[in-house]
Amino acid sequence: MQSKLSDIELIEQTLAGNQAAYADLVKRHQRFVFTLAMRFAKTREDAEEIAQDCFIKAYRSLDSFQRQAKFTTWLYTIVYTTAMTALRKKRVDTDSIDDENTFIQIENQTSGYDVNDAENKSRSFYLNQAIAQLLPDDATIITLFYKGEQSLDEIALTMGMEANTVKVKLFRARQRLKEKLERNLKQEAKELI
Amino acid sequence: MNSIEEKLWNYIDGSCTPQEQAAIALLIEQDEVYRQKYTELLKLNAEFSVMELDEPPMAFTYNVMETIRAEHARQPLKAAIDQRIIKGIGLFFVFTISAFLIYALANINWQAGGVSLHVPAALSAPGIKNFFAGPFMKGFLFLDVVLVLYLFDTYLRKKGLAKMNTNVQTSGQQNQQKD
Repeated sequence: MQSKLSDIELIEQTLAGNQAAYADLVKRHQRFVFTLAMRFAKTREDAEEIAQDCFIKAYRSLDSFQRQAKFTTWLYTIVYTTAMTALRKKRVDTDSIDDENTFIQIENQTSGYDVNDAENKSRSFYLNQAIAQLLPDDATIITLFYKGEQSLDEIALTMGMEANTVKVKLFRARQRLKEKLERNLKQEAKELI
Repeated sequence: MNSIEEKLWNYIDGSCTPQEQAAIALLIEQDEVYRQKYTELLKLNAEFSVMELDEPPMAFTYNVMETIRAEHARQPLKAAIDQRIIKGIGLFFVFTISAFLIYALANINWQAGGVSLHVPAALSAPGIKNFFAGPFMKGFLFLDVVLVLYLFDTYLRKKGLAKMNTNVQTSGQQNQQKD
């Protein structure tokens, strides 16, 4: 059962020394932070490591949170920079992070979902599959916009870009996602025939 | 704004000006191409909105809190003490030493009559001998005792809270296992 207190109230309690309040904050945001980490990592283990690292970093610098922006915007900024650093470290001697083909093998598996069961394959499954095939930046913008309740300005703050750049990137990301979704569905239809 | 698609996405997101919004609404109403594309994008937008979030492992929160607790336990005493207190004590000593120096220098008989500097055999600094036994020193020591007690109290409070949190976490895990 999660606390009904607001993020700011939980932060205040954490700063007063109540670690249980921070545990509530982690529980509240862990799914989204983990999803964002999955947009960059190749495996669930790597994503878990990135997500944990983010929450630990956030805890360490909680007293520097200015409360001018939403806590989530601040937290997602940490996630974005941590994930980018982790990705660069992993990829430094392999291939470019701008190469789309690098990420094709990533599979988004949601818990309690049998990916091998053809009957369970819904549009949502194909959507997650298509998102996993996008570049990390595209997938992050799409996720922040549709599931993170972030405005274009807030996404710009998170990713350290201009709001207009984010607007253009979101448009392109949606186009790429649409193409990949259609291609995956066509491929599946061919396999069934 | 260039393509039809770009215009329509801005219309759907609500990121265009009221004038542009009105113009696009009119186009959707009158132009068949716009209407078809708008319907298609609306459907896609609804589809994107229902994307599923990934679920982290069950012990995720527990692992994060354990790492934080372990870090706290490893933290050396000098890092646990508020830096302002240390700076305050340092400033106090710097101020005291400076005051002594100024007082001593002010009482030296600087007579440049001859070639050599004449320093009196006995430096006249009345009150310095009694200084360490005086009320000032007692006050300083009392302040130190209060400071130590305050730090000890803070340490015990933190320790108590950490113990309480561990109990809460353990009972939470036990409940999860029961469920």
